[in-house]
Amino acid sequence: MAAIYKREMYGFFTNLTGAIAAAVMLLVFGLMFRYYNLYNGALTMHYTVSGSALVFYIVVPVLSMRSFAEERRQKTDQLILTAPVSLAGIVFGKYLALISMLALPLAILCTFPLIMTAFGNETVLWDYSVIGAFFLMGCAYLAVGLFISSCTENAVIAAILSIVFVFVTQMMSSVFTMISSTAMTALLFLAILSALAGVLVFVMTGNFAAGMLSFAVLSLACIAGYLIRPDWFSGRTESVLRILDFSTHFSDFAGGAFSLANVVYFISYIAAGLVLTLLSLDRRRWS
Amino acid sequence: MIEVRNLTKRYGDYTAVEDLSFEVKDGTIYGFLGPNGAGKTTTMNIMTGYLSPTEGEVIINGHDILEEPEAAKRTIGYLPETPPLYTDLTVREYLSFVSELKKVPKKDRGEEIRNVMDALDLSGVRNRLIRNLSKGYRQRCGFAQAMIGKPETLILDEPASGLDPKQIVELRELIRELGKNHTVILSSHILSEVAEVCDRILIISEGRLVACDTPANLMGGAGNGGRPRLRMIIRGTPDEVRAALGAVPDEMRRKADLQLKETENGCTQVTAAFADGEDCRGDLSGALYAAGCPVLEMYEEKTSLESVFLELTEQAGRNRTEETPSPSEQAGKRTEETASTLGQAGKRTEEAHSPSEQAGKNRTEEPKTDGRK
Repeated sequence: MAAIYKREMYGFFTNLTGAIAAAVMLLVFGLMFRYYNLYNGALTMHYTVSGSALVFYIVVPVLSMRSFAEERRQKTDQLILTAPVSLAGIVFGKYLALISMLALPLAILCTFPLIMTAFGNETVLWDYSVIGAFFLMGCAYLAVGLFISSCTENAVIAAILSIVFVFVTQMMSSVFTMISSTAMTALLFLAILSALAGVLVFVMTGNFAAGMLSFAVLSLACIAGYLIRPDWFSGRTESVLRILDFSTHFSDFAGGAFSLANVVYFISYIAAGLVLTLLSLDRRRWS
Repeated sequence: MIEVRNLTKRYGDYTAVEDLSFEVKDGTIYGFLGPNGAGKTTTMNIMTGYLSPTEGEVIINGHDILEEPEAAKRTIGYLPETPPLYTDLTVREYLSFVSELKKVPKKDRGEEIRNVMDALDLSGVRNRLIRNLSKGYRQRCGFAQAMIGKPETLILDEPASGLDPKQIVELRELIRELGKNHTVILSSHILSEVAEVCDRILIISEGRLVACDTPANLMGGAGNGGRPRLRMIIRGTPDEVRAALGAVPDEMRRKADLQLKETENGCTQVTAAFADGEDCRGDLSGALYAAGCPVLEMYEEKTSLESVFLELTEQAGRNRTEETPSPSEQAGKRTEETASTLGQAGKRTEEAHSPSEQAGKNRTEEPKTDGRK
């Protein structure tokens, strides 16, 4: 695992991707800090950090797109997968390198609240909690980015998919306002999700019958549920879509409320991303 | 020791490897031969744990590759078809990464990397980026990677590809040297290469084992009752030749099992069996010369590996399209076929050697071209 980690870090610093990611982050942090805190005199840094979330559109694809896609394209995965290293060690080594590349510029951002103390800032803890949440959100994005990279051997496709993921999760809170909250909408929405689940089962197992069966079971369960308790369905669309709503979960921290539920939310994304990466690598051996 | 038992790999409906079983003993060099798409690379990928088999098991030096992957992988050095190189590293950095990946103790790393670089003549390019190296160097870099960590078993997928003739000779020497204390499995499409280096040859076609034997048994005139024969072209009619051969001692003539056949332009073709440990060439040519029937050509008739290979793989392909018997029936049939096709292969090469091709060949040289391609 240490070998993989070192190799990844070396790669980030020799092929510019690490430098690009760090430069983008530092530039945006600096601009936001200058604008909100120094120019407009905001007392805390939460505007600065929230405004900086747009760096993920660039940082996540730049850092994570090559992780496994490039190994596969260059066939170097044959080296690491036949070396005496566990699959988990490989995934973890790569992931640690990714989050290190996120942590380095954030370490510099961590000095900004200290600058603020010169002006009598009393909210240092708040500032650090927002920076911590920003890091956690970034870790969740990178875990998903790692998974996306493990699914393809084309780094460009991996980059596009992770940009789409960042876009969806950042914009989800604005989507809610456009969706009706009636029970019927929820039923339709859940039926669509069942179909997607069926397609996923088909893709993962290659078995058409299994895909159709899971679609049928899930959608019938939804219809049965709707007939028995329609009131339960109202507003469900939103609660399902909220799973993808990174920005709201983050803005709780920005508002100054530290919530364990939100920490767990991001950690679940990290765990899911890593486990799916493992499964995707293992599945490729069996296909 | 590597044991492969009933290995099967299916990709959807396509079967890449079917019910393949073989054993590789310690300290031997095994050659893996087969036409493109025969399943050589797939088998090697399964043996090294890169792919998983649909059925069957692979046991590497006592460790099952699926149950104890790390222990098994520690004893293998693998050179895949495309050398797995990080082109943004220098040769030294790359080998240092590999040695760390393979858990070579830190204090031994420097020395081991030096040794491997010396063995493969990479020291001169140690500080160059792999991206800028020629194909031969890249291939050797991949080979170096496989040797790091002193694995007991080396699995090499076409190790000679991309090398120039001089490097191929050096590589052959290296593999032979490694074969003394390693188990080596190599695949190659250069058949003479395999014949030179390997102790045993596995021929597979369409994912099935077609033959497994020593190169000598596969090539050495298995078609002539398992023994190479001596073939001579002599100027003179069969009667003259027969009379001339009367001077040879009876005992030797009987053992040699002489057969005469008239050929065009007044020459006679004589074939003689090579009795083990007894060289009748001197006596035969001496007697013939004394009687005024000069020997125009004399050579040891060998079946070239190419023809054995082509015959076996084509035969296997034909059998599969004609009929699909049950596996047990087929197994029995396959051994019979092997024998019979070897016979045919022998015959085909006989036809192919025209006198002009043979001229100037001494008996140790094996025919490289058989004119059938």
